[in-house]
Amino acid sequence: MSPAPKEPESTSDGSAGAPCELDAQSLARLTELDPNGEGRLLQRVLRAYATSLERLMGEFRQARAAEQGTVLRQIAHTLKSSSASIGALQLAALCAELEQRLHECFDVNNSGILDSLELEAARVAVAVHAMLQT
Amino acid sequence: MNPSNEITAHQPVERPMVLLVDDDEVSLLLTAAALRDQGFEITEAGGGDRALAMLAERPVDVVVLDAMMPGRDGFETCRSLRTMPGLEHVPVLMLTGLDDNASITRAFEAGATDFFVKSNQWSLLAGRLRYLLRAARTRQELERSKAKLARAQDLARMGSFDWRRALAGGPGGFVLSLEGLRVFGLPPGYPVSMRELLRMVPALERHGLLRMLRDVLQTASVLAADVSVTVRNGRQRIVHAEAEPEFNEQGHCIGYTGIVQDVTDRRVAEDRIRHLANFDALTGLPNRRQLIWRTERALESARRFGHQAALLMIDIDRFKVINDTLGHAAGDDLLVEVARRLRACVRHSDQVTEGTLESIGARAHRSLEAVGRLGGDEFVALLPEVGDERDAERVAQRMLDSVREPIFVGGQECFVTSSIGVAFFPRDGASVADLLRNSDVAMYSVKSAGRNSMALYTQQLSGRGREKLELESALHKAIERNELVLHYQPKIDVRSARMVGVEALMRWQRGGQLVPPGDFIPLAEETGLIVPLSEWAVREAARQAKAWAVSFGFSDSVAVNLPNRLFERSDLVEHIHQAVSTYGVPHRAIQLEITETGLMRDLQNVIPSLHRLNEIGVEISIDDFGTGYSSLAYLTTLPISEVKIDRSFVRDLGITPQSSAVVTAIIALARSLGLRVVAEGVENLRQMEVLHRLGCGIMQGFLFSRAIPPDDLEVWLKQTVLPRRAPWIGQADVLEANETARQLSQRR
Repeated sequence: MSPAPKEPESTSDGSAGAPCELDAQSLARLTELDPNGEGRLLQRVLRAYATSLERLMGEFRQARAAEQGTVLRQIAHTLKSSSASIGALQLAALCAELEQRLHECFDVNNSGILDSLELEAARVAVAVHAMLQT
Repeated sequence: MNPSNEITAHQPVERPMVLLVDDDEVSLLLTAAALRDQGFEITEAGGGDRALAMLAERPVDVVVLDAMMPGRDGFETCRSLRTMPGLEHVPVLMLTGLDDNASITRAFEAGATDFFVKSNQWSLLAGRLRYLLRAARTRQELERSKAKLARAQDLARMGSFDWRRALAGGPGGFVLSLEGLRVFGLPPGYPVSMRELLRMVPALERHGLLRMLRDVLQTASVLAADVSVTVRNGRQRIVHAEAEPEFNEQGHCIGYTGIVQDVTDRRVAEDRIRHLANFDALTGLPNRRQLIWRTERALESARRFGHQAALLMIDIDRFKVINDTLGHAAGDDLLVEVARRLRACVRHSDQVTEGTLESIGARAHRSLEAVGRLGGDEFVALLPEVGDERDAERVAQRMLDSVREPIFVGGQECFVTSSIGVAFFPRDGASVADLLRNSDVAMYSVKSAGRNSMALYTQQLSGRGREKLELESALHKAIERNELVLHYQPKIDVRSARMVGVEALMRWQRGGQLVPPGDFIPLAEETGLIVPLSEWAVREAARQAKAWAVSFGFSDSVAVNLPNRLFERSDLVEHIHQAVSTYGVPHRAIQLEITETGLMRDLQNVIPSLHRLNEIGVEISIDDFGTGYSSLAYLTTLPISEVKIDRSFVRDLGITPQSSAVVTAIIALARSLGLRVVAEGVENLRQMEVLHRLGCGIMQGFLFSRAIPPDDLEVWLKQTVLPRRAPWIGQADVLEANETARQLSQRR
């Protein structure tokens, strides 16, 4: 039932720092929850996501340096679903892959996935900030 | 059952309370927003520990738990909250990843109600939650009704059981619910077996029960039975068991499910009601209703097996006197003791009901044997099977002897006797009513013949007995209903043509008819009713003397006839004293007449009374004088004032020479003793003339007046005596003149 994770290589070779697009369909679902925008739900979610992303990525770098696989996996898990929610599908996919690999006890240090994830996270952060500005 | 469930179950959940637990703020925010939008009330927790703390504060309707969380994860949180009071059954939805089969399994192991794959399909989550809530509510309702049922069963001392047959090598089984165990006095969880329960049934009944169970099982029919058991704590209970068979697809009976209920209290109440309806409250003996029922059954058996049955009617002699003298409480004690003794004379069995009667078999009718109380001092013994008359006679004799033993009641020893009448089936009657009546008739004949004995019914007794019975019961009521009256016949001194006194004669106005004394006084004497009757007569005579004294200056005496048995009573003097005092007339206003025969029959016992009466000024007159065999020696010593010549001598005066000889002798005797002589039954002038010539001047009879009501007597005095209008007055004048002439000529 679980679809195959996206090809990690295809995501990792994207240009660094270039902003990515948040998935329009996912954003539309979010908007449905607050159709008139009265609750400013989209802004609150994006703001929460941005805060959470910043915190999680800080923790991610620490855990990576300390080679704490369990912590990394936990972060990947959390980031996976919230990223999917706001339409950061590439990042969600990377998180899912990392989570899976850690679960299967693969050595992730030399696979490049950690770098790819960090890079994608940075791009998503830019996109989210951009959306919050508008 | 817990408080929070109770509350949510009672209040319709309009905005169900959801606790969202997720470490990811974004998820929290989105899920909360989605669910709020769908009508849920949301509280949020960022982690497992925080969630548990919140749940301890305030329960919710449903918990949505993220499985993967740092620190205490979803599984751990779920496991913990299940141990918290009130949260055992709260629905918990575990959020898992899309591809996380292991988490799903772990979620259920941790006690989650369901799982939900995280997605942004928010409406799906809301739908799932609603489903969970509905399921939880249904479950709560079931729990509640189960609890209610358990409570109801507990209150009704009822429990359920399930019994599986050992079929095709499979093991059978017997399960008794908690409440069911309690019915048998067993602790919760006790591993009870059918065998053990059956051992609680008393051995005597167990055999029958097992047979019945086998029958039920063989025919796969419905079981319904009341069973006596001795439960764990040694108490006797009655358990009602009811069960229906269950069948498998092949139509074989595979077992029974049903209930057991402690019906002891109901049974006790029913028994008590049945007892009240069938037994006499005072003596505990079967009552009239029960006796009639037993007798009917006994007659059915007697008819079927062709044997005799006997009914004994037992009545305590003079019970009324005992009751009046010692008081009702003592009277009741006496009845209880007599009941006990009578009961000991037969093979009395208390417990006979339709059910037991059938089960005992052919000789069952013997268990009907009993002594019962019909009411008052009347008892009946039923002998359902007697070989011949002597069987019943033996029982009757035992009863007579047993009752005769001294009885200690009301602080003193009492001696009572009884009278027993016996009637046999089929000889003396084919129905209960016939046998009751005829044993009563026979008992009556004993009473007439002097009591304290027994008699068997005979055809000859019947006619007389029945009439008498009717008359007696009517006479009993006569006093209460004021049906008795006194009529008065004047005593005339023919020389002066004056009334010198009256004799009171009792009449009974029964249904518009006047019953003459000859028709009821003998019966009253036989039954003892003569005592209250006479006492009433004395009071009434005193009242009349006063009434006349007021209306026309009556100052003579009213003569009242008393039977000799009344003279035997120590309270006669007191009674007369009370009667005259009540109406304010002198003692001499009452004169007492006793027949010569009555006087002589019991002279020794009567004399003391006569003396006392004489001392207080009450004169005694001897009635029907000349008919008895008075000892002249006694006559000289008796404190009497008057003799009355019997009407039979008066009637024959001038016809037979013997009668005038007797009258002459009586007059001479009376004179020599200084007694007044009164002639009774004077009907014509010739008799009057002869009596006068023989020296008797005071007379009574139709010539002067019949016995008439008091008002008529007054009229008669005013219209006949005072104006000197009657023929006998003219004659009396002539006699008076003749007498004067005779005396004058004698002097010459």
